Amino acid sequence: MVKNVKQKEIRFNFNGKEIKGHEGQPIAAALFDNGIRAIRYCDVTGELRGIYCGIGHCFECRATVNGISGIRTCLTPIEENMNVASNLTGVQYDEE
Amino acid sequence: MLQVILQVCSMMKSDVVIVGAGPAGLVASIELASKGLQVVVVDEYYRSGGRLLGQLYKDRRKKQVWAGKIIANDLVEKAKSLGVKFLFETAVWKIENKTVFISNEKIKQIHTKTILLATGAIEKALPLPGWQKVGVVTAGAAQTFTNLHNVKIGKNVIFVGIDPLSISVAIEMKHAGVNVLGLFLPAPSMLNQKSNPKEVLESIASASGMATNPIYRFGGKLVHGLYTKLLLKFLKFNLLKINGIPIYIRKAVTEINGRAEVESVNVKNISIDGELIGDGKNLLVDTVCLSGGLLPLIDLSQLASCVIVDIPELGGFVPLHSPYLKTTVEGIYVAGNITGIEGAQVSMAQGKLAAWSILKEFKLVSEKDLLQAIKDVEQARSLSPITFLPNIHRGRQIMNEKWADYKNTIGESFDG
Repeated sequence: MVKNVKQKEIRFNFNGKEIKGHEGQPIAAALFDNGIRAIRYCDVTGELRGIYCGIGHCFECRATVNGISGIRTCLTPIEENMNVASNLTGVQYDEE
Repeated sequence: MLQVILQVCSMMKSDVVIVGAGPAGLVASIELASKGLQVVVVDEYYRSGGRLLGQLYKDRRKKQVWAGKIIANDLVEKAKSLGVKFLFETAVWKIENKTVFISNEKIKQIHTKTILLATGAIEKALPLPGWQKVGVVTAGAAQTFTNLHNVKIGKNVIFVGIDPLSISVAIEMKHAGVNVLGLFLPAPSMLNQKSNPKEVLESIASASGMATNPIYRFGGKLVHGLYTKLLLKFLKFNLLKINGIPIYIRKAVTEINGRAEVESVNVKNISIDGELIGDGKNLLVDTVCLSGGLLPLIDLSQLASCVIVDIPELGGFVPLHSPYLKTTVEGIYVAGNITGIEGAQVSMAQGKLAAWSILKEFKLVSEKDLLQAIKDVEQARSLSPITFLPNIHRGRQIMNEKWADYKNTIGESFDG
């Protein structure tokens, strides 16, 4: 296995919750690391949606990043104090 | 009014614009820049390397590990040292009259003499009931998150779709400590041709150089002949395993279940001819990786009005191109998976060939150099550890024939 050199810790917000990630990680990978796979609700069916293709083609993982909507979380690296929001706001996650 | 618009649009000039910073685009950028051309590489991702970044496997023939991330980093360093400019998080949305229109915040257009499309491939959809649920990802996404981002995408994982890519990603995930329960076929449907056990067995046998492939040890040359059916009957009762991962060549996933996220799948037995048998069972999983195969990503060649041809042996619709990787539109070239689905080593050799083909236009290399670059592509193909499409050689022949026909029709002699 190729080991990553330990990278700088970055803190950002996802729907009001503070998330820790590492510099250079896309938003979706940092969310995965924190056990979050559901990124938004589908506007049509109300079902949960998350990562599907991981390379920017499917747009399933989109969220509002620093006020700009439709940003693909699989393509966008995290930044300190970045604000990531989706229509999941207010949803309680089951704590494991 | 026009003047105002031009002032707002920030422009850039270059000799060559390369779309795609994967193995083909990176190698091409190095070849072009080392001969003094101004090269701009555009990529939608936030870093270069393309699919190389996720690749990590043992090349059985060369007895060494193929660590794509390291190979990509070396290529990028070299390209940067030669003055290649990179525009990341930037998509190309139009190509017209040698102007490349991009989504970059600062630069909106690049005026260029030549364009190399090295856009790679997209994963084919594999629609199954429940495939929209959270916890269902493509095999490519699974590879990227496992090997590049070092993220475990689930605890109990299965793959649907048995092919060289899904086998390789399953092995990589197991190495990363994920519990991979097995690889299954998708339920037969009008939309996929991946449910016939006989065809699937033959296609995975062609991935002979990859990691430890027991298909050859197990079935030997029997796989490609009359004995396939016998072998498949045998496989109904005996488990085929690759690196300890079960390959269920006689079981298909018919549905993915779960209220919010994936909780289980329904699995049914499948006949040798690809028909579902019996009632089936429920298997508890939290993650499903779908592998529907790869399609050349040709959108930009279509936008640029290149002639497109359908060659199933190459993976489907691809831009018509010469043996020197020139398309039907003057100044536009192609390299890598946009020309047909093959491994990274072939893409890299094609990147060099396309670059030299462009250099020939600039009178910086000779005809003889170009012929050598063609030979290098053929050699890379014959040494490639992974063959995605069993009739790829025939596909390349058909492309050359179609190019010759095209040249005849438009009244030009065959000059490549």
